[in-house]
Amino acid sequence: MTDEKQALLTARDVAKRFGSVVALRSANLTVRPGEIHALLGANGAGKSTLVKILSAVISSDSGSISVHGREASLRKPTDATGAGIATVFQDPALVPNLTLAQNLRISHLEEADVMPWLEQMGLGHIDLDLMVTDVPLAYQRLLDLSRALARDPQLLMLDEITAALTTDQAQYVFDVMRDWKDRGRSVLFISHRLSEVLELCDQATILRNGVDVAHLELAGVGEDRLVTAMLGEELVEHRGDETVEEPDAPEATVLDSSEPVVLEGRDLHLRDKVNGISFELRRGEILGLTALEGQGQDQLFQILSGDHRPSSGELLVNGTKLNARSPYDAIRRGLVLVPADRQLALLPQRSVRENMATPLYNRPSRWFTLARDESARVDRAVDRLDIDVRAGSQAQRLSGGNQQKVTIGRWLAAGFDTLLCFDPTRGIDIQTKAQIYELLKELAASGASVVLYTSELREIPLVCDRVLVLYNGRIVHEQAASTTSEEGLLSAAHGLGEEAG
Amino acid sequence: MTATTPSALATGSQASWRRWLRRHGWTFGVWILFIALIAYYATLIPKFGSFQVASIVNNGSPLVFLAAAQAVIVIAGGIDLGVGGMLVLTSVTAARFMEDQPFGATIMIALLIIAAAVAINAVVGWVIDRSKVPDIVITLGSLYFFQGLALAMLPNPGGGTSEGFRWIFTGSKSGIGSNPWPVMVLITITILALGWWMGKTHSGLSLYAVGSNKTAAYLSGIRAARVKIISYAVGGGLAAMAGLANTAIAGRGNANIVGGNLTLKSVAAIVLGGVALTGGIGSVIAVVPAGLILFFLNPILSAMGIDPNRAQVIQGVLIVLVMMVTGLIEWRRRRRS
Repeated sequence: MTDEKQALLTARDVAKRFGSVVALRSANLTVRPGEIHALLGANGAGKSTLVKILSAVISSDSGSISVHGREASLRKPTDATGAGIATVFQDPALVPNLTLAQNLRISHLEEADVMPWLEQMGLGHIDLDLMVTDVPLAYQRLLDLSRALARDPQLLMLDEITAALTTDQAQYVFDVMRDWKDRGRSVLFISHRLSEVLELCDQATILRNGVDVAHLELAGVGEDRLVTAMLGEELVEHRGDETVEEPDAPEATVLDSSEPVVLEGRDLHLRDKVNGISFELRRGEILGLTALEGQGQDQLFQILSGDHRPSSGELLVNGTKLNARSPYDAIRRGLVLVPADRQLALLPQRSVRENMATPLYNRPSRWFTLARDESARVDRAVDRLDIDVRAGSQAQRLSGGNQQKVTIGRWLAAGFDTLLCFDPTRGIDIQTKAQIYELLKELAASGASVVLYTSELREIPLVCDRVLVLYNGRIVHEQAASTTSEEGLLSAAHGLGEEAG
Repeated sequence: MTATTPSALATGSQASWRRWLRRHGWTFGVWILFIALIAYYATLIPKFGSFQVASIVNNGSPLVFLAAAQAVIVIAGGIDLGVGGMLVLTSVTAARFMEDQPFGATIMIALLIIAAAVAINAVVGWVIDRSKVPDIVITLGSLYFFQGLALAMLPNPGGGTSEGFRWIFTGSKSGIGSNPWPVMVLITITILALGWWMGKTHSGLSLYAVGSNKTAAYLSGIRAARVKIISYAVGGGLAAMAGLANTAIAGRGNANIVGGNLTLKSVAAIVLGGVALTGGIGSVIAVVPAGLILFFLNPILSAMGIDPNRAQVIQGVLIVLVMMVTGLIEWRRRRRS
């Protein structure tokens, strides 16, 4: 480990939990002056949590942070800026209903402080009297960066800043980072784009499940080494000498192509998030979908579930166009959604039976009572899903796994053709996970179709027939699920399979 | 580095009058509506002169101050149902202590009452911040609390004030006259000061920041707790101004005025004035004509020969129509972008 005296920032055994979810178990990080340091890890490894702790947006449960060898007490964001740490967060931190100039004023900065930086990033003539809402997201990120630089920090932390930027805009950011390093200052860089990391960074700290699992000197290190470090060393052993990239993935032909296509997307676009997605889903198929965070999967599911209309392209259900104004229209055509956040789907204070019967309320003839056969359908769904109804009087008292079963179960009671599952097993115990996998397979066997987005790569060969990998709002990889490996999928998800951008 | 700002974002890319209209269109529109209503009113009644103007401005001033109080708090992301109670409480307190006092003493009492109202409402803001109970619940409590305190302070209508004090808010020692200037100057100074504070200073802009996006404000280093307390304190002070105006107009205090009704009027006025109830949007400048319009609808409707009982129906419809127009504008803007 580095001598602490020469370290700019040292975080030791930092831990943080949110309720029952452990975000950081015990994370260590040392950043020295004059280096660009990468913080890497898969989704949910704890990168953003650590950044938020270091910028004092949230406080850690335990562990210590020192700056220049002195213990720093970081209680509010101004403490961090005072200690010489400035952060550009994943979500823009500009206040929407104020002008750019007013945003500078509330952060106690003058126009003259940020102007040199804006000039360097190609925004020298930007009108600071514009409202933030009138400025495209990419420019907001650059403004955010200029605001951070104007504080002249010792350590600049950039959380996924390049995700929203075009290639030439990203180049400006890289120039700034190198410039910062030349001044003897440091940068902590978080990016899903490993090529950027290898090009720019000197050191890397890799987080997995809230623990720092590797500290690497990046000179001479390849992308495969980073991917395996993120996934876990145990996988490296039985991987042998295979290369990480699997450019020639077999075409997906698992399913009987005589089955009719129930859902088809044709060149779907939504703002700059979904950039031309086309796919076909056949009857009885479980189509896996995976991606790093923010690659357009949220927006794609909004389109599929009728929450949002695509800005161009069309969605066909059983061969006819779906023109959904709201999820109601999609549901009537048999497209139903199981969202990741169960709180979005459940009526937490109502009983399990009421929750299961919710979709049935839609029929006017059922506004007053549930007919006996429908009541029976709810019962059958409860039985089939093996839902523990002891705490059934209020859905919020159920365990997460049982809650998720209820959100699936209500569609069983109501009937559907295609189930859209968005990360349905997030934060659920292993046993319930297995039950949900089984259920999805049973549903598919009985003729339903499933679109399953999951961030857990190991689920894909277990459940899916075919998998699509999204990157930058496009499908970059398609493969029969049985032939996938975690490394292959992760590489594809990082956009390594083919050059995107 | 050969860097260029995209032309759509560059200085001078948008004609300045268009931007001004887009940003201040609502304020502009409410003022136009107010002037149009005055002009219409002038044609309805046989004689329209300074007496009528004074009657509108003077009698409308409590609602203007109360609406400004509500606007400051709502822009910062809160809502204060207690402002009406604060008006009644400060009004009867003034009437009780100002009775038979010389002018100088009444001014001192007025300043003390404003200071006390600032402090009391700051405590309300602090309680909301600390307890994490929604604003609407805590201030429902403070509304009843203030109203009850007012009844204890002055069980029967009465009290009084000095002639000089009445002149400040009515332009006349008797409270009735044709001089609108003192209260117009008072409102103008108050509102311009508020507008400057909220639009130009760090602490004032913080109100918009917190009301608009609490997380982004927090990440910019703004302390939301302090902003909440400041907004409630300023609101309390403005509600006290409304109460003092009320005492000056009536020449006495009356704790039987229903504070809750006044609160609802203040909310109606800020909605008409273009303040978003979700926070972060709006201007106190537009709240002045909005408050006066609401006050002024009654005399207009009665001059048109409409039963005052039906006037409320028209007020209700007006508010809904205004909100629908806002919704439509917002919807069109979002669809275009």
